[in-house]
Amino acid sequence: MMIDSFRSRKLYYALAAVAVVAVLPLFVRSEYVVGSVFTLMIIFAVYASSWNLLAYSGQGSLGHAAFLGIGGFASALLATKMGLPPIIGLLLGGLLSAGIGLLIGLACVRLKAWFLAMVTFGFSVIAVTIISQLDPIFGGMIGFPTTPIVQGVVPFYYATLAIAAISIGAIFLVMRSKLGLAFKAIRENELEAKMIGINTGKYRLLAFIISTFFAGLAGGLYVESILFVQVAIFEPYFSFLPLIMAVIGGLSTMEGPIIGSVIIVSIDSFLPLTDKYLQPLSPLFPGVSNVGPPLRLVGLGLFLILVVIFLPKGITSLLHKAYDYFREDTSKAKKNGKT
Amino acid sequence: MIVTPSGLAETLLWGVANGCIYILLATGLNLIFGVMKLVNFAHGQLLMVGAFIAYETTTITGLNPYMSILVAMGSVALIGIGLEKFAFRKVRGTEKLNEIFISLGLIYVFQNLATLLWVKNYNIRIPSPLEGLSLSLGGVSINYDRILAMVIVLIILIGLVFLTRKTKIGLAMRATSQKSDASMLMGINVGKVYFITFAVGAALAGAAGALYGILFQFNPAIGALPTIKAFAIIIIGGLGSIPGAVIGGLLYGIAENTAAYLLGGIWQDAIAFALLIAVLVIRPTGLFGEKGE
Repeated sequence: MMIDSFRSRKLYYALAAVAVVAVLPLFVRSEYVVGSVFTLMIIFAVYASSWNLLAYSGQGSLGHAAFLGIGGFASALLATKMGLPPIIGLLLGGLLSAGIGLLIGLACVRLKAWFLAMVTFGFSVIAVTIISQLDPIFGGMIGFPTTPIVQGVVPFYYATLAIAAISIGAIFLVMRSKLGLAFKAIRENELEAKMIGINTGKYRLLAFIISTFFAGLAGGLYVESILFVQVAIFEPYFSFLPLIMAVIGGLSTMEGPIIGSVIIVSIDSFLPLTDKYLQPLSPLFPGVSNVGPPLRLVGLGLFLILVVIFLPKGITSLLHKAYDYFREDTSKAKKNGKT
Repeated sequence: MIVTPSGLAETLLWGVANGCIYILLATGLNLIFGVMKLVNFAHGQLLMVGAFIAYETTTITGLNPYMSILVAMGSVALIGIGLEKFAFRKVRGTEKLNEIFISLGLIYVFQNLATLLWVKNYNIRIPSPLEGLSLSLGGVSINYDRILAMVIVLIILIGLVFLTRKTKIGLAMRATSQKSDASMLMGINVGKVYFITFAVGAALAGAAGALYGILFQFNPAIGALPTIKAFAIIIIGGLGSIPGAVIGGLLYGIAENTAAYLLGGIWQDAIAFALLIAVLVIRPTGLFGEKGE
């Protein structure tokens, strides 16, 4: 019964969160903020959640950008060159990404965590080379424009929100199911998991397939949100992004990657506004034409380091603490009222 | 392009020379990983800082660039000690990904600080007195700088083997790498071992940086790719094995250079990583890796 109430409480929170996100465009009228900030937060929340699921099964990926890119390129090619409806292209992009994820997973199912990370990283480097060499199909280094599932900034925002809510909900259900329990057992101790009869190879592959499917889906949404697809999507920056988001938010939790995505996308979008206040420092660094970007990136680096030193379980842990504190307070107040 | 035997031999030789720098970087990374189980993605940033320190030392004091390697090693070791004490030590024992996360944060800090300090010296090289001189043997030529680099790497590696095999602190390092808890119970000061390990690993990165600066042009952004290559090398060779890192580094350097020679420069990274994946699929613990638990 306790579990039931806990589950329904989580569900209410999730619905409330979706509702808040749904009414946001009514208050924020700026097309830039809705289209390039809020939409991006939602898309990267899906991407970081997909990475988080893989980490949940004890497998670190440092080349998730490969799957983001495969999903992005596949969905864009299917929609623009084959004339398929973009929503079908999006799903097929996710499926193709999962298929390639399956092949990579098969090749490295025997590998320990950090070896796997390097293989995925290597694969993303190989993908960059192949894509940039096959100019006629993939547009070489320049890329090509894409068509979104729906036209217009606000409709696309709602479409993204709907797809993201279903995807993150599905990832959450997987984490909470028997499957998720098996993933957790493998993460904690692969040998023991094997001993109690879990087919670790099979489950690790499953985690790989599910994670890469959603990463591909996020890739399709991403290229549609910026209306362009380019080989830069495979860069290491995009591989490290979900790791940064998941860790800063809180690893192996449902809300962690979402909170991380909101924080990192906000920093990326709004921090450049502080550049003009940093200009007075420029005499300290002769020869640097614009001190803003490097200075604020040093600040970002220090911020990330400090967060992880003081909150090793991510920002989510802080929220949980605040929540517990608040509840204790109210329960105490109730007790005092009775006596 | 015409592929000739002497051209191929030259490619192999240059591959070995380039591999030497990777070997130095990879050995330091491997030492830190082996003893501390720490995955430091900012290791290549130490290489970049080493290159700039060697450059400044050479241009300001007029010291021979090969002597400035020592300065770079010492200063980067100090920076490494600071990193270990004020960043990595703070998250030891928490989630393993937190250490990686810190190293990613450090990449932002180092790369942008270097941009602020040295952007005016973009794509520079450390002026070497041996500039332009090269040795030719039967159609195969290689410049003296690369030969000297190979010799220096060899000397440093011999020193490292001596340190880990013949000294007391080396014994403590090896014990800690096998079982840190048990070593602590045997009276080894594990904190001190970590501290020295990180300093030695950083010094190797500093030396690699100085050599990089003598052989290639560099700028504040060069650190990222060598880190990844160094990881690929220690995985090819096997984690925790110095001979593995040497063989891995040579294989990697040769694969990269041969791919660039036969297929063109754009393929060199892809082919080298294809080699990594091939090795791992055949031998999941790397060529010289110990069997996992």
